[in-house]
Amino acid sequence: MESKRTISLKLLEIGLLVLAAVFIIPVYYLFVTTFKTSEEALLHPLRVPLNFTLENYTSALESMKYFTALKNNVIISVAGVTIVILFSSMAAYVIARRKRKVYGYIFMFFLTGIMVPYQMGLLPLYKLISSLDLINTLTGVILIEACYSLPLAIFLFRNFIDSVPLELEEAAFIDGCGVFRTYWTITFRLLTPVVATVAILTALATWNNFLTPLLFLHSREKGVLLLELYRNVGEFTIDYARLFPMLFLTILPLMLFYLSMQRFIIEGMTAGSVKG
Amino acid sequence: MNRLAVSFRKEAIYIFFLAPAILLYFTFFILPSLQTFYYSFTNWSDVNPVDVTFVGFKNFAVLLRDEVYLKGITNTFTYAILYMVFVNVCAIPLAVALNQKLVTRSLLRSIFFLPAVFSVLVIGFLWSFLYSTSDFGLINQIVTGLGFEKINFLGNPKIALYAVVFTQVWQFVGYNMVIYLANLQTIPSDYYEAAKMDGATGLQTFRSITLPLLLPAISFCTVMTMINGLKVFDIVFALTGGGPAHATETIISLMITKGINEGFYGQGSAFGIVFMLLVLLLTTVHLRVIKYLENR
Repeated sequence: MESKRTISLKLLEIGLLVLAAVFIIPVYYLFVTTFKTSEEALLHPLRVPLNFTLENYTSALESMKYFTALKNNVIISVAGVTIVILFSSMAAYVIARRKRKVYGYIFMFFLTGIMVPYQMGLLPLYKLISSLDLINTLTGVILIEACYSLPLAIFLFRNFIDSVPLELEEAAFIDGCGVFRTYWTITFRLLTPVVATVAILTALATWNNFLTPLLFLHSREKGVLLLELYRNVGEFTIDYARLFPMLFLTILPLMLFYLSMQRFIIEGMTAGSVKG
Repeated sequence: MNRLAVSFRKEAIYIFFLAPAILLYFTFFILPSLQTFYYSFTNWSDVNPVDVTFVGFKNFAVLLRDEVYLKGITNTFTYAILYMVFVNVCAIPLAVALNQKLVTRSLLRSIFFLPAVFSVLVIGFLWSFLYSTSDFGLINQIVTGLGFEKINFLGNPKIALYAVVFTQVWQFVGYNMVIYLANLQTIPSDYYEAAKMDGATGLQTFRSITLPLLLPAISFCTVMTMINGLKVFDIVFALTGGGPAHATETIISLMITKGINEGFYGQGSAFGIVFMLLVLLLTTVHLRVIKYLENR
């Protein structure tokens, strides 16, 4: 009986491994093709590259203005994450701790942002950004993307702060500590797990957002990776040996991020779902 | 009056805490959304940028008579429903399988989750090569290798939308699987032992224990996949650009091409309102159904 169970488990495991292998072929194909010439990729699409070449990469780095774009991506994500963490944790603190009705309404006001799609307001937003003179600036994109990440962040922070015990804060108040100092020296330090979750979610959302840079960043000095990729795809649709390194270089930072912090990313991206 | 002043002073610090978030959220989300309402009733367009007047429901009437807009709405519905159904129907069994005592469980989990981290746009460009009918299209190489005719996945209006859905199911099935997996781990193993003692078959156990206790994850995942499905844009942009013959045009892709690129601002805004109402309607109905299932 027991051995029958272990055999079926083994079979299940083998079946799943085969499925996973087939499942991941597109990513593998993307990776190996980057090292091949067009002819080799055409004849042996899935074979390990024989005439291993890095030439594709050097030309890709150049035509994408890779390091400028990467720098812009990093600036947008870091600034966006910082703004979202500061603003949303402070707001969520008030919503979680103060029991006045008005704060409940403010919470509902923020929650509508999770349901109502932001794309609805794109036209007036475009007008607004032009009138603020923020077209073609990283600042504009940072503010917009931070704004889109706020509702979910406030939701996650509020749920977490609800479960943080009040005693420490009360002791600080009795010692004459003001709200501002109490929050930053005591409460905020207890929020590390949810800060990590929000940071990961916001970083991925800003990094992968294509629509906002497409609409608001026009010059190449202000390009981000996805925009540069998009510009180059138009030019090189035929020469795909040159295009694949660009695809791979665009996802490379995310791949490294995923491989180094996998556990946190999987937990972070799924946090607030079942528990929430 | 005095009491109000006192309570205001007491609350001042909290208002200061809330102000940055409210200001940012109001300026870049609430204000544009409200303006969309206003513009949807005007004749504002690229051709008529200055003399903007109130035209009532004219824009909405135009939408309902325009074939392309209607096509965009039905496509978006079809896409969202197919996406929601297939992602969840694949993710649940996968999660149940990975919840067994497997040696390579965490490896399998990482592999299935991986595509969800990548930008949808990149996934779109990658699949446009995989689907290609040129000599290098990997899938068609396999299809012709098996002795069949080449399939024009993205060029045939009858199948293009399904080809688009497939890439997104592939990309996000692992993400949803992980959510189901987290939920499965909260189900006590006694339940399964008891079911085994009663001689329940695997399918019976799944139907009467696993599925009902998975409802929290099911409600979250189905609602989110539905909302994300309705918002689809990047993948269409990368794979087909709305074509062939508007077969994959979606609400957002139309809002951008008609509303921004072609300059029909009033119409685009009206379409935005229709979109918001559809999302709210579908989500409300969906949540009702889930609530009904939970109370049963």
